[in-house]
Amino acid sequence: MNDNSGCPGSKMQDLRKTATAVEEAPGKVKSQLQQWPIQLHLVSPVAPYFQGTDVLLTADCVGYALGSFHPDYLKGKSIAIACPKLDEGQEEYIEKIKSWLDNAKINTLTIMIMQVPCCRGLLNLAQEASRQAQRKVPIKAVVVGIQGDILSEEWL
Amino acid sequence: MTQQLELTLTDYTNKNIKDIIREFPAVADVLNSYNIGCVSCGLGTCLFKDIVQIHALSPEDEAVLMSGMARIIFPGREVAVPASQRKTRPPAGGGYSPPMKKLVDEHRLIKRWVAVIPAFIGGLDVSTESGRELIREAIDFIRSYADKYHHAKEEAILFKYFDENLEIIKIILADHENARARVREMLAALERRDKEIIAANLKAYADLLTEHIKKEDEVLYRWMDRNLTTHQVGNLFSQFQGTDEELGSATPKYEEFISKLEKKFTSKEAQNER
Repeated sequence: MNDNSGCPGSKMQDLRKTATAVEEAPGKVKSQLQQWPIQLHLVSPVAPYFQGTDVLLTADCVGYALGSFHPDYLKGKSIAIACPKLDEGQEEYIEKIKSWLDNAKINTLTIMIMQVPCCRGLLNLAQEASRQAQRKVPIKAVVVGIQGDILSEEWL
Repeated sequence: MTQQLELTLTDYTNKNIKDIIREFPAVADVLNSYNIGCVSCGLGTCLFKDIVQIHALSPEDEAVLMSGMARIIFPGREVAVPASQRKTRPPAGGGYSPPMKKLVDEHRLIKRWVAVIPAFIGGLDVSTESGRELIREAIDFIRSYADKYHHAKEEAILFKYFDENLEIIKIILADHENARARVREMLAALERRDKEIIAANLKAYADLLTEHIKKEDEVLYRWMDRNLTTHQVGNLFSQFQGTDEELGSATPKYEEFISKLEKKFTSKEAQNER
């Protein structure tokens, strides 16, 4: 199997030992998802659940890497997911983010990305949309490590 | 057994920090080594436990600081250091949230004014109408920009997100009242054309604001940022924009005024003329 060692975003890494090293307390973690659909191409930016709310725009991989994603980050927010590396039609993403700001009048935008370099593209999309939008909101960037740790969390 | 031995370190964390410093002056050195400036604070009525939390030391530094305090308060005794009462998140990067950054940015213009004050005092002229008009303009900057526009954002909006009985907020509010009292005295002195009283109050205002802004930029706003939720940050940002739409149109006028003062009093040309 090719380990794609040239690209940090697709380089093969075996995390089985660290992933199972700590046993979590048993019990179900309640889903905090409050809408459907969630893929950015599929959502309407002016859907009722985006109006005036705190929005989470997250790279596809984040939800799988971050163990506490639902209670710590998704809770209380509306969401859209996207992959800045593989998704096509990303100019439409900029228009949708602009519409969140100008039409849905969202309260805040939190961008969650993985630490791999290609994920920065999602942050760049959001910043470009914010530059083009008439209305500004606080934007926060959260970078998640591939082992599910929060590497940084800051307001832009 | 003395009263000191009857008290535990936890009891001391609930005491006023100035009282602790008065009782154990060496505590000041421990606080200073972590850049915690309680010694120079005008009021210093914060509780020891609040100071530890507000300054957001790392858990390791917090443990070392507590041990250092314990060695001074209970010399020669083994003292159990209470577990951290930290309720807030650790600092997230070095930046402020957008609404806090807005307040820090507004401080920049006020700091430029404070930097001009010594030379402004040197050039005070109450004998001519143009001299008195310049003083009136400076007082208007303090009242309209620094107080009505900037401090009002804090008092009418920001502080409402917190318990206003917290000592740190009481201290900030007391600073605002102190500044207002200085302005009242300056206005009264201007009526009497009393240059000395205007100068004394300007000097006191400059000293007060220098400390005040440092407290807010370095301690208060960062502590508030750690305690605000993402949702609250968005709401604050929106409320501040509302204030800017209502009162911010005069900001360019005040920026121009401060530039004019800098040119007149502190620019190279002004210094060469002296």
